[in-house]
Amino acid sequence: MGHGVKILLVDDDPVARSIHSMLLHMQGHEVVEAADGELAWRLVEEGQISFVVSDWMMPNLAGVDLCRRIRAADFERYVYVILCTSKGAKSDLIEGMDAGADDFLVKPISPEEFRVKVRAGERVLSLQQGLADKNHELAKINAQLHSAHRLVEDDLKAAAWMQQRLLPLLTQHAHGVRCAWRLQPSGYIAGDIFNLFPLDENEIGFYLLDVCGHGVPAAMMSVTLSMVLTPDATQGSPLKRYDAATGRSQVLSPEDAVHELNRRFQSRDDRYFTIIYGVFNIRSSTLRFAQAGHPSPILVRSKQEPAILGNGGMPIGLWPEIEFDCFDISVTLGDRILLYSDGVTECVNGHGEAFGEGRLLAYLREQQSLPLEELLTCLLAEITLWHGNSEFKDDVSLLAIEITGEGILYRSSESSPATQQSYNRRRSDAI
Amino acid sequence: MQFEESTIKNALVVRVHESRIVADVAPQFKEGLIAYVTSGNKNIVLDLSEVTFIDSSGLGALIGSLKAVGKDGQLVLCSARDAVVNMLKLTRMDKVFHIFGTPEEAASALS
Repeated sequence: MGHGVKILLVDDDPVARSIHSMLLHMQGHEVVEAADGELAWRLVEEGQISFVVSDWMMPNLAGVDLCRRIRAADFERYVYVILCTSKGAKSDLIEGMDAGADDFLVKPISPEEFRVKVRAGERVLSLQQGLADKNHELAKINAQLHSAHRLVEDDLKAAAWMQQRLLPLLTQHAHGVRCAWRLQPSGYIAGDIFNLFPLDENEIGFYLLDVCGHGVPAAMMSVTLSMVLTPDATQGSPLKRYDAATGRSQVLSPEDAVHELNRRFQSRDDRYFTIIYGVFNIRSSTLRFAQAGHPSPILVRSKQEPAILGNGGMPIGLWPEIEFDCFDISVTLGDRILLYSDGVTECVNGHGEAFGEGRLLAYLREQQSLPLEELLTCLLAEITLWHGNSEFKDDVSLLAIEITGEGILYRSSESSPATQQSYNRRRSDAI
Repeated sequence: MQFEESTIKNALVVRVHESRIVADVAPQFKEGLIAYVTSGNKNIVLDLSEVTFIDSSGLGALIGSLKAVGKDGQLVLCSARDAVVNMLKLTRMDKVFHIFGTPEEAASALS
């Protein structure tokens, strides 16, 4: 801001007023005059004035009281006030500063002092205006950010709702199995997903998968996979082979399904996923699993130690020549299988210590008499307690399956988890 | 993400100065390794002695780097701690990566 600010000159002495007015005019300023404090106050209140040079002693309203009134008004703009005092009155200075005056001029006023003090006032007002402009701009940007953030948040909430709808129904139990599940995404949406569905009249398929990474890219892939992993063979499912000629379809073995998935999902970037895919055959009461890079499922059998199944394997989409574990177990009434993501075992406490497989096994051993739903509720509570809150760094997912026996050709089994390793049949051995 | 480089025989040994290769450092980790490849290094030994944990994103970055090296060069690992070796074994990545005990053994194998 250069010269030319509008200054309100307040003085009851017309001679002094015209001399000072002339000085300000000569310096290039626009001058508005007022003969007393009350008149000046009305002009300030009207909103056009932000620079006041006022005499101290005046009828109606003294300069110092005008100054107090201006400060008390708390205008949006800053009003710069210079008070003119008589020579040598030190107590006036203190009272004036206390009233909020920015500067003082001692009468008689020298033209040079008048000039520099008005310039100083202009500088302060210019800075003040700059700050006000910036604040205004920031407030505008802040509002834009806020609305953009809300838009993204609403989108994410909608996406989360859509993702939840892809999960199995809470009460789902198909032909002799009951399932329960929990999904706690690390943000709004998860890279973990799972499902359970009948593949045909004898077989039930189920999976739990974890797309590497978090957030929207991982969630988009998990949703895509959930669509692809369908028991509807006519949709080109990697789980069944459809023969258009006969109109019949055949359930693929878990290993063939995993090979097919790996063929389809070789990605150019580093995105990949880990999966446990299981097929439960109701007639033979056997479960066949393929384990591709995913943490081992746990078998919980009444009055026995919970057992870890499988020896791992490569994730899907990382390497074309995939190698993974495939194994069968015979199941009996009441057996439970827990599938989970590494967000469970790798969940750390305040000291950076992971929850770990050991704690998970111990929990399942101690709480095996709990009904399926409560088992997962309490397990999630246990993991949340371990972490300190439910804002997990990675998605936490749990899928528990219980053999209920409805519709099953029940077969007594001598098998025990201790001999589970003997069921393991690595693909390399199988070929 | 910091790397310390040294040369043994005709191999570039890259020591990773990071204890956890996880999601937030994985992109830098991969970029750094690929930069070695694009600047003409054919034989790279990745010294993992300081690494205590690799998560799924870290594993993706590691495999991505291996793919970037392609057939023109070699990327091998050495001095991996038990936790890291177990993770590589569980995901069968020990079939994809050569893992050596020391940088010297790795460098000799590449020579």
